[in-house]
Amino acid sequence: MAELHAALGMVFAWDVLAVILGASLFGLLIGAIPGLTATMATALLVPVTFFMEPLPAISAIVAATAMAIVAGDIPGALLRIPGTPASAAYTEEAYLMGRQGKIGQALGVNLACSVVGGLIGVAFLVFFAPLVADFALRFTSDEYFWLALLGLSCAVLVSGADPLKGAISMLIGLLISMVGMDSVSGQIRFTFGISDLLGGISILPVLIGLFAIAELLRRMPEIGHTHFPPPPPVEKPFSGVGRLMWQYKGGIARSGVLGTLIGALPGAGADIASWISYALSRKLSRTPEKYGTGHPEGLVAASSANNAALSGAYIPALVFGIPGDTITAIIIGVLMMKGITPGPDVFTSSATLVNAIFIVFILANLLLLPLGMLAIRGARHILAVPSSVLYPLILLFCIVGAFAANNSLLDVWLMLGLGLLAYFLVENDFPIGPMILAVILGPVVESNFMRSMIKANGELLVLFERPIAAMLGGLALLVWLAIIVSSVRSAWGARAAATSS
Amino acid sequence: MRINDLLMGLVMALLGAITIWASKDFPPIARQPYGAGTFPTIIGAFLVGLGLLLSLRGWQQRGALFLWQGQVTPSHTLICLLAAITAVAGYVLLTPLLGFPLVAPIMLTLLIGWLSGGRWGMAIIVAIVASAVVWSVFALLLHVPLDLGILEEVIY
Repeated sequence: MAELHAALGMVFAWDVLAVILGASLFGLLIGAIPGLTATMATALLVPVTFFMEPLPAISAIVAATAMAIVAGDIPGALLRIPGTPASAAYTEEAYLMGRQGKIGQALGVNLACSVVGGLIGVAFLVFFAPLVADFALRFTSDEYFWLALLGLSCAVLVSGADPLKGAISMLIGLLISMVGMDSVSGQIRFTFGISDLLGGISILPVLIGLFAIAELLRRMPEIGHTHFPPPPPVEKPFSGVGRLMWQYKGGIARSGVLGTLIGALPGAGADIASWISYALSRKLSRTPEKYGTGHPEGLVAASSANNAALSGAYIPALVFGIPGDTITAIIIGVLMMKGITPGPDVFTSSATLVNAIFIVFILANLLLLPLGMLAIRGARHILAVPSSVLYPLILLFCIVGAFAANNSLLDVWLMLGLGLLAYFLVENDFPIGPMILAVILGPVVESNFMRSMIKANGELLVLFERPIAAMLGGLALLVWLAIIVSSVRSAWGARAAATSS
Repeated sequence: MRINDLLMGLVMALLGAITIWASKDFPPIARQPYGAGTFPTIIGAFLVGLGLLLSLRGWQQRGALFLWQGQVTPSHTLICLLAAITAVAGYVLLTPLLGFPLVAPIMLTLLIGWLSGGRWGMAIIVAIVASAVVWSVFALLLHVPLDLGILEEVIY
């Protein structure tokens, strides 16, 4: 109780509340602009959070991402262009509702269901994370090695249609994480004689390069070539929302739980949760034929799931230090920059901080209602911000942000190089999610493997001796088998297709 | 721009081979078969294997080696890429000499003016205000040592 009281005191400090409000407004702006993602909002926030205490830093990211996902629904409903990938599953449905004169209702349902879904996810996080953490206290380096490897493997498997390219993206991320002095042996690796690289490649230029610069490079050429029609006015945003939510209450609850569970899977974030919930809702619906015609049932399900997934992703991130998605990968990076290594120990050593994070989650989700309303009302103005002004400003912010962590211009070069790399990879269908997860998890996998080997005098089979380690190891190997089989089959399929044509 | 998987795979395999070669001299930990070279070698080996698999797939699909997709012309995309690269490189190279208060507004003015189709008045105003805000937040509030360049002699 004393910890809860202390946590409340930490959260309800004026500076933390101001950070939450400011970050929410920032998330609102980025999310509502088509093409700019919640992950990009997070990456752009990191340079500022670098100078904050851990709680306001995490609060900023939690608030900005929740708001960005919700704001991403707005251009989807108004212009048929999803603001973030997490809104893509139900963009058509929301837009068609708008064409039927129900634009206010569509956006109101999006907002209200996002809040409910987010709160379901938070409830899971609050109740289950400490229980799992208690269980995880018994883990040794064996379990952590397999857990991190399993996280990487799942990230590859769910990263997109092509696991082969996902696996290559992950390997490049692992390679980036190998640069610098090896933490176990002290050996210097791949620094090319540059002393600034001895501590490894700083996470900040990696994040900004992969998620902000690459996106800017992709979007800049479109300026002047894509014209958005003026959005229709939004009237009575909450008209009929309560009735719809009551009608589909089962779907909201189911999608909230499903979204949380999907979010907790490494690599599967809000966008995948949204698509799966939409598909499941259609499958279980009594009126599946109405889907795709401006029917609110799928909208209700998917918009609950994507915000629930955001909270779900924090369960493995806080308990094991294994990111559930790209946003939690960034959170782990931020925590590590501040000297906090996420893991079960955090729940005992920093229990007040953990409780404070839970409270921030509830607060950020509740704040969605008034700020979401504000976003809906001001949508026309946000969408009027010209990209020709916004993108150069983001570029300057990226440059200064990459420089800020170490006051090093080398980091700006690294940001540019990694941004170009990510640009070319994304243009060729390589997913970036596995790469950032690998940058975070690479050292975890390697250091735990080396610790286990030192304990066991290099005996590999020791990694399977403990029951949970054996189970996790078996799962990781199965996932890798699935990746390899899928890759070989795709190569075989390509050959068959080429022969038949 | 889409590059055929045949080429992409070969590049990845080459990267893997270079990684293995660069890791061969990392010594193992005392009385251990494993060391600093273990993981880079495994990563390199996987890159070689999966890169070759990707190449094989690309070769079987028999597509063009380079293919342009999208509504925007290749030349316009290339110009935009070069503009962004030049902006970042220009900032890194010129800021130590001229200082942030000169480089940032010039960079923003040029980019905004060009991207907005010649609205230079608006570009200059936005660039000055935005540079002042970034300077205030990072240099004054967060104490990030943004370079003053030649302005350092003028001010101090």
